[in-house]
Amino acid sequence: MKLLEVEDLQIELMTEAGVVRAVDGVSFCVGEGETVTLIGESGSGKSTTAMGVLRLLPAGLAVLSGRVELAGKDVIADPDSIVDVRGRSVSLIPQDPMTALNPVFTVGRQLAGAVRTRHPELSRSQARDRAAELLDSVHIPDPSAQLRKYPHQLSGGMLQRILIAIALAGEPRLLVADEPTSALDVTVQAGVLDLLLELQERTRIGILMITHDLGVARVVSDRIHVMKAGRFTESGEVEDIVERPQTEYTRKLLAAIPQLDAPSTTAPETPAGQNVPKQESPTPAPPAEAPAASPAEPTATTLKPEDARRPAGATGLSAVPGTATTATTAARPEGARP
Amino acid sequence: MSRRPQLPPLTKYAGKRLTQSVLTVFLTVSTVFVLIRLAPGDPARAYAGPFATNEQLAEVRERFGLDQSILSQYWTFLTGLFQGDLGTSFSYQDSALSVVLDRMPYTITLATSAILLTTIVSVPLGVWMARHADSRRELGANVLTVAGQSMPEFWTGVMLLTLFAVLVPILPASGFTTWGGLVLPTVTVAILQIALISRMVRREMVNNFASPYLTVARSRGVGERALTWQYAMGNAAVPVITALGTRFAALLNGVVVVEVVFAWPGVGSLVVRALETRDYPLIVATVLVTSVLSVTVQLLIDLLYPLLDPRVRLGKATS
Amino acid sequence: MSVSVERPSAVTADDLARSAVAGKHRGNRFKTVTGAICTLVVVIPVALAQVLPIPDPDQQDLSQRRLPPLTDGHLFGTDALGRDLLSLVLHGGQVSIAIGLLAVTVSGLIGILAGSAAGFFGGWVDTAVSRLLEAQMSLPLLMMLLLVVALFGPSLPVITLVIAIAQWPEVARLTRSLVLVEREKPYVAAAQVLGLRRLQILSQHVLPNVIRPASLVVLLLLAQAVLLESALSYLGAGPQRPFATWGRIISDGQNYITTSWWLVTLPGLVIVLLVVGVNLLGDGVRDRVRRRKVVQS
Repeated sequence: MKLLEVEDLQIELMTEAGVVRAVDGVSFCVGEGETVTLIGESGSGKSTTAMGVLRLLPAGLAVLSGRVELAGKDVIADPDSIVDVRGRSVSLIPQDPMTALNPVFTVGRQLAGAVRTRHPELSRSQARDRAAELLDSVHIPDPSAQLRKYPHQLSGGMLQRILIAIALAGEPRLLVADEPTSALDVTVQAGVLDLLLELQERTRIGILMITHDLGVARVVSDRIHVMKAGRFTESGEVEDIVERPQTEYTRKLLAAIPQLDAPSTTAPETPAGQNVPKQESPTPAPPAEAPAASPAEPTATTLKPEDARRPAGATGLSAVPGTATTATTAARPEGARP
Repeated sequence: MSRRPQLPPLTKYAGKRLTQSVLTVFLTVSTVFVLIRLAPGDPARAYAGPFATNEQLAEVRERFGLDQSILSQYWTFLTGLFQGDLGTSFSYQDSALSVVLDRMPYTITLATSAILLTTIVSVPLGVWMARHADSRRELGANVLTVAGQSMPEFWTGVMLLTLFAVLVPILPASGFTTWGGLVLPTVTVAILQIALISRMVRREMVNNFASPYLTVARSRGVGERALTWQYAMGNAAVPVITALGTRFAALLNGVVVVEVVFAWPGVGSLVVRALETRDYPLIVATVLVTSVLSVTVQLLIDLLYPLLDPRVRLGKATS
Repeated sequence: MSVSVERPSAVTADDLARSAVAGKHRGNRFKTVTGAICTLVVVIPVALAQVLPIPDPDQQDLSQRRLPPLTDGHLFGTDALGRDLLSLVLHGGQVSIAIGLLAVTVSGLIGILAGSAAGFFGGWVDTAVSRLLEAQMSLPLLMMLLLVVALFGPSLPVITLVIAIAQWPEVARLTRSLVLVEREKPYVAAAQVLGLRRLQILSQHVLPNVIRPASLVVLLLLAQAVLLESALSYLGAGPQRPFATWGRIISDGQNYITTSWWLVTLPGLVIVLLVVGVNLLGDGVRDRVRRRKVVQS
């Protein structure tokens, strides 16, 4: 069954510069247990697509047309129906965890609120217990202490886990993850991605992933849609796109990230520790500026699947308490991805 | 971590604000002193007024030690103030301080009722304007708030008087004999304050409506009512309450014009009378008492601030 | 952005009319146009007071006292001394506006100097200016101004200066924040590398970039200056005769409020019209400038 079906979605933004067609007739679908990735540069319309699907674009800005069926409801033909869907059938994992939570409420209040949106019958204390369980399920140590904290007291990686927990509170069938890792420190990125994959294994949840990073896309996706100027330039299975790119644009995207099929000999030369630039670069750097070991070699970043998993596989760590080093990598066998 | 034992952030903050308040009062006192010294002519005569007798002049000269150096004069002036000696009002023949304190409750009453009315009107109005930002209806309200900012208080006051006390005599024109007398002055003062505060509420709410946390909250099914009144208002409350407090403090500093229009027996009309009669001790006393009061209110508001904003209360844990 | 022509646009004229962008445009246009009209309706007649076919403001006629508007060729009626109210208002407006302009110039100069010094040099200069700003915010300003006028006499220079002192914090605060932003820009560092002295950098490079946005508040300050002057006049601390400013006219007319409504209402309306106009104009222009900046970036 399809969790999300998008057909001929067109999003036009009414801006200072006139009407801009940000999304120009895209069609895709996400099924149970699937991860579908929209990839493209900034301005390609991928985030606008995600926000449009959830109807989070202000009415005074965007005009949507086409068909978007979310959990069986056409949210374009019937805009009010989105209210029944949000926080129940579908949840959002936002781009920047640092600004995504209400700064004057505790984390617990926001999480318990999300629980009670889904289950209004729960009492406050029951919702609180459920909130603690949810934090535990996203591998946050000492959940009941974290619940009492305010967003500004927590690190980015921690907040993103909490936001995932909040997203899960609605027990959704579909997660829309809008660049869930791009605002995070590299070491934390891998942990968050792994958490998402682990959840998918467990609950067969569908994921619509938005990213500009082919490294991320390759780790998580079943299908990839390459987006440029509001349109899909190329769509297909993840292997096809990565190994047999059809368009020049995709080849350029591929070239812009570290070589994924690096010779295995380079791997031992890049010990895990060296791939951890201490909170310096929030995004994986393009190859020319990659801080890692050998400049001549196409070096790896942590987002290279092999690398991302290696430290965890080697140490068996599941969660490292602390702020920036929560690089959990839940044991997920290499190649489990279909 | 610094090796010095760290004071709790709140204590440090409170200490800093208290110092600032004391400094402000000190600056006010000094300014008044300098102004009176700078005034042309004999400072004793300027202070004592043109109707002062020679004995009074001599008394003033002696009190301020005008034959001494300027610094020791300043010192005498200061110590006099700290002992609560603000001189004797010429027109009332009574301690200037007690004359001012007698009038203070009226000004406090008017300022309080005006700020209450302002809060009741401007918060819903500002929220409504933010929710309908840039629509035609909102433009109308927006222009009205600009008009509210642009009307001289004496004119609005006189207009309201003409309407409700002369043409349709349902409210008393002046003074404070019944509570009905409070209505017109309150409305007159509140018009400007409502215009200012509702525009501020609108701005804050618009910013919060556009911020990521609100979109994310909407995405998880938080209803529009909760988004407006709990989420956005929860964040806008801190600056709005601060602004209301600042306006209240400013009103305590003298609703001079409105008090004169309605012959309201507060410190504002007192100071204007004192100016007409050149009653300098009374002027100095009024300026000092009102500034101490309003600085205190300001201080209380600022001390309330951390209770409202967890980011100030708890400091940054990780950065 | 390449927009294909094959897929029809779903944006209707109604959508566009209701869009946030159109709403902002509409609002700004309305504010700018209305503001300009209100301002000009007051400013032009005031400027032309001497050449307009109206009686002399000092020409008294005790047989024609307190005539209501539109009688015997007196558009606004006459005052208690039989003087033409319109003529009084227009001539009084010249004084009120002139004081406002002068005061704004002075406060602008003080504010820009103090604010830019605080922002650019930081340190103790900044501390001193900021404390002064804070202190003035919590002072009983109007009482202080009245005290100054009482001590030094209600001459035009004193009143101008008093208004300027009331207004400089606004300019200083804005300039300071603008300079703080400007100071971090690369060209300042470049100028420092080139060995320019700090004062030179401030005056020749930073200030020119700051003055234009800072001068926008001048319009709004002018409106406030007119209001403040009229309030001082109303309280009897305005310029003395022969200068019949707006506040004084209203103050004089208040005694006849029960019998001759126009003596207060009409001069007040003129003030309201001018100040509303200037405020609307300022609002509209400010939003427009802000928007242009967004589009550029």
